Amino acid sequence: MLASPLEQFVIKPIIPLHIGNTDISFSQSALWMGIAVILATLLMTLSMRSKALVPGRWQNVSEMLYEFIFGMVNDNLGNEGKKYFPFVFSVYMIVLMGNLLGMVPYSFTYTSHIIVTGALALTVFILATGVGIVRHGLHFFSLFLPKGLPWFLAPLIVTIEVISYLSRPISLSVRLFANMVAGHTMLKVFAGFSVMLGIILGILPMVVNVALYGLEILIAFIQAYVFAILTCIYLKDAIELH
Amino acid sequence: MSLTPDELGKKIKEAREKQDRHSADQKPAVKARDNSSGTAQALRAGTDLVAALAVGGFLGYWIDRWLGTKPWAMIILFFLGFVAGFLNIYRSQTGQDYKIGFKETTKDKDKE
Repeated sequence: MLASPLEQFVIKPIIPLHIGNTDISFSQSALWMGIAVILATLLMTLSMRSKALVPGRWQNVSEMLYEFIFGMVNDNLGNEGKKYFPFVFSVYMIVLMGNLLGMVPYSFTYTSHIIVTGALALTVFILATGVGIVRHGLHFFSLFLPKGLPWFLAPLIVTIEVISYLSRPISLSVRLFANMVAGHTMLKVFAGFSVMLGIILGILPMVVNVALYGLEILIAFIQAYVFAILTCIYLKDAIELH
Repeated sequence: MSLTPDELGKKIKEAREKQDRHSADQKPAVKARDNSSGTAQALRAGTDLVAALAVGGFLGYWIDRWLGTKPWAMIILFFLGFVAGFLNIYRSQTGQDYKIGFKETTKDKDKE
């Protein structure tokens, strides 16, 4: 019988581990996260090994990635923000690698789990808030109170601003997670049509699937880009405080 | 062409100064950064609205449980969440991205 299109998101333990009642099994999600980290590190180090003045193919790839994020950080945060570049770059690479490795058949997309994207978004959120408080002290909270606001409107506006601020990590994580789940489910559904329609008619859904696959790779890049640029914007808010 | 280390050091220093001046001139301008596709933007707007609603409802629910004011805090905060959601969308569409507070807006207007 056909597998459910959602079955691909089930976490399966590879090495079962239990401490007390806590399940800390090494799952395939953790495995692919490890692969992503190793691949990203290898890509950045091995391709830069020759340090050629005229870059080869691999060196070009890593230089393009580096310059892309560096430009983004520089545009948004200016000179001040250069110290946050490693953080933004790491976030970008882990999201991009997760999205792209998910496109490899038989692999697992760890960015399709809200717990992963939520943890990433919370890291960004806590860092941005922490940077803001360290740099501006309690003055940071004046962010929520627009200047020249009549006193009787303050409770209303401050509540709205706080809700808007707290919604940022949620929308950041849900966006990535929803995009990945939707895309991969769609691929599976169309693949299921192919199986149901048989060999001759089954070619039609397959053609759609090829197009969808291209779209998914585009989305993998767009979502990693959006994640990185929003990280920059949140940090910018914390640094500049208008 | 060969340079002594001193000359090279001077040249590097000059270039660095030039670069610093250059980047000082170019303030991190508020650009239309979101050049992603329309679909991506639409999806972004959708999640922004829903996220703010969820935060509002969730906060309201817990305040109700905490203070025993069921259901008033949830009703009020749910609607405020709705407002915050639309504020999020308004900000992302007017190129202010996710800025909290209105200060930047007035400054932008002064500049123009």
